[in-house]
Amino acid sequence: MNPTILAAAPGAAAATPHAVPLWVTLIFCGLLLGLVLCLAFEEKIHAKKSVIAGSFAVLSLLAAAAFGILPLGPVTNSFGEHLHMPVFMQGVDWGVIGIILGSSVFVDVTSRSGLFTWIALKLTKKSGGDPLKLLWLYGGMTVVFSAVLNNVTAMIIVGSLTAVSLERLNRREKLLGFLLIEGLLTNIGGLLTLISSVPNIIVGTAAGISFVDFFIAAAPFVVVATGITLWMGARQFDIKKLATEAQREEAARQVEGFDENDGIESPGFFKFGAIMTLLFIATIATTSVLPWVSDLGMAWVALAFAVIMILRFKSEPDQFYRAVDWDLIGFFVALFMVINVMEHAQVLGLIGKGLAAIIGMGEVSGGAALLVSSAGFSSVTDNIPLAAMLAKILGGLGTPGDSPMWWSVIFGANLGGNITPIGSASTLVAVTIIHSNKLKLSFAGFVKKAAPYALVQIVLATAYVLIFLR
Amino acid sequence: MSLIDQFQSVFRSASKPVYRPTPRRFEKVLLLTDLPTAEANAYAEQARALVMKARGMGAAPWVICDGDAAPTVGDLLALIEREQPDLVVAYRNLHSGGWRWPYTLGDHVTVLTQVTDVPVLLLPRPDALDPSRGTDTVMAVTDHLAGDARLVDAGLAFTAPKGTLFLSHVEDDAVYARYIAVIGKIPNLPTDVAETELRKRMLKEPADYIASVQAALAESDVTVKAEVQMGHHLSTYRQLVQRHGIDLLVLNTKDDDQLAMHGLAHPLAVELRDVPLLML
Repeated sequence: MNPTILAAAPGAAAATPHAVPLWVTLIFCGLLLGLVLCLAFEEKIHAKKSVIAGSFAVLSLLAAAAFGILPLGPVTNSFGEHLHMPVFMQGVDWGVIGIILGSSVFVDVTSRSGLFTWIALKLTKKSGGDPLKLLWLYGGMTVVFSAVLNNVTAMIIVGSLTAVSLERLNRREKLLGFLLIEGLLTNIGGLLTLISSVPNIIVGTAAGISFVDFFIAAAPFVVVATGITLWMGARQFDIKKLATEAQREEAARQVEGFDENDGIESPGFFKFGAIMTLLFIATIATTSVLPWVSDLGMAWVALAFAVIMILRFKSEPDQFYRAVDWDLIGFFVALFMVINVMEHAQVLGLIGKGLAAIIGMGEVSGGAALLVSSAGFSSVTDNIPLAAMLAKILGGLGTPGDSPMWWSVIFGANLGGNITPIGSASTLVAVTIIHSNKLKLSFAGFVKKAAPYALVQIVLATAYVLIFLR
Repeated sequence: MSLIDQFQSVFRSASKPVYRPTPRRFEKVLLLTDLPTAEANAYAEQARALVMKARGMGAAPWVICDGDAAPTVGDLLALIEREQPDLVVAYRNLHSGGWRWPYTLGDHVTVLTQVTDVPVLLLPRPDALDPSRGTDTVMAVTDHLAGDARLVDAGLAFTAPKGTLFLSHVEDDAVYARYIAVIGKIPNLPTDVAETELRKRMLKEPADYIASVQAALAESDVTVKAEVQMGHHLSTYRQLVQRHGIDLLVLNTKDDDQLAMHGLAHPLAVELRDVPLLML
């Protein structure tokens, strides 16, 4: 949230803590633990994230009002004007919500131009149908799409194509390996830019890391981790180059049957979509230095591009509103409300004391411990509440923007998603595609197969953060 | 997870069967008649004249069976087994007076098309055969053209040099109307979208396949034309045959799900008695 808009920005309460009895704080700790557990067992209790977080938001706000720990009263902006905003709305980071909402609408409208499917099919043809080339190209595409779009959309696009193309190439026995590797790569691609994943947005924004700085810092790790993951995947799932010329010719013939232009209904809109995607990336990358735009922030950029794209369908925008993941948006809004209450109830302060102990271990031991523990938590529950809480706590502890602790949280929160199938939304999508293709993969089966990759990635990330980002 | 389905649909749609020609040759031809030897030979001359320009026909002499060669269906199948022809040429209602009542093909032809894998060139009966029409204009007929390379190859093999091969695909509008009526009663399926998208998709797949045939045969001396439309199978094909002056129809007769002849082939074979048919 831009501090020039609202004086009562999140984090203000942490900066000036008010007295709350410990037993009250512990009650709210119980509520937070309940939220984390319910999110971890989301599939078991058959409830969507927004409903879980919404329920806890309602409950914790009511409890906070009863205990009198909410900062009631008007909000004052930088012009000294009093704004009337409900207390439970003040804690919502509307900047993050704006980026997610704008980006998802932009990506959805742009995908109607056929641009992403065109790229995906062009690369498929480029592989000549060779399984190993296909793995590397799909892997690279997963990383880039995760970085530019978001990791869920990337997994959906690349996973869907993988199922169709391996079917066409009569290589269905390799589908499980491909989808698993792609699922793992979405979380690596999610590290590439500031807007690639929600933890990046939350933590990167809190630390004041610019888009370009983020990219420069994360890109070398992403390249190396992608290469290692693909190499390991090819070995584990026995994905090799085609041996004979006859096999290569047949495979090439099969992939030639893909028509990359099939999904393009309007060549004009296709070109427009391509240009707007490049402009979107360029504008997001330069938001911090563009006059006026830097004042409005990335949320404005994302929403503005969404509006420009929707102009093409100005008489029927409803279809895109319907495509927005309202469960995710509702989840974020409710989550920010809960975290804001936890801040006022001194729960974050209490966790911060524990975190301060970790930070106090020094940059090397503390940074490593923070990364590994972030990854551990992210593997069993949603990485977004973790990122939101840790960002608040690190900010509250006055952690400088260039501290490796921020990167420990970012790398840990993203890579933790590779340990279990519920660790991130994109690995969950990968498992959904695996199951929809009648392939068997249990929770334990996923962990068994993915653990070596996650271990290598986390060790690599720890070394990278401690050596290059200190 | 409707977005997964959405993208899988996009990629399935982009994954298209591509036609690759496999030239077909019919070297050994077996002519079945129920005529005396002299008349059978005369009929053979006419039949050969009819298909003489077809690019797939071999130059070897035909094996001609007169009326005594295979009077029963059992004899006929034994003959086919013995001769192992590449093509059987025959006409309707062999060894029967059923030709006076144009409702059947006769036992010989019906069994022949279902029991053996040998293509059957079904010609008009001796009194109606016009050898001068040739095979300049051939039409392949199906209700599922996309990916049916065998049908296209056979049509191409019978099309005379510089001739025209029509690839036709008629979607039955009565079936389509019934589906739309059912969709109209399902609240969570938008009827207007289903109506336009279903029709578009049903016609797009054969049209795309024909485009791939045209691309594959661009260098050949045969012109490939498309006839893809909604309609009533029998009446629409009858109209197409008349409109384009079709010399030969090529159609599939086998249906894996049933012993009887393919649902589209039988009525066409019974009713279009003046047009030579290549039955696969």
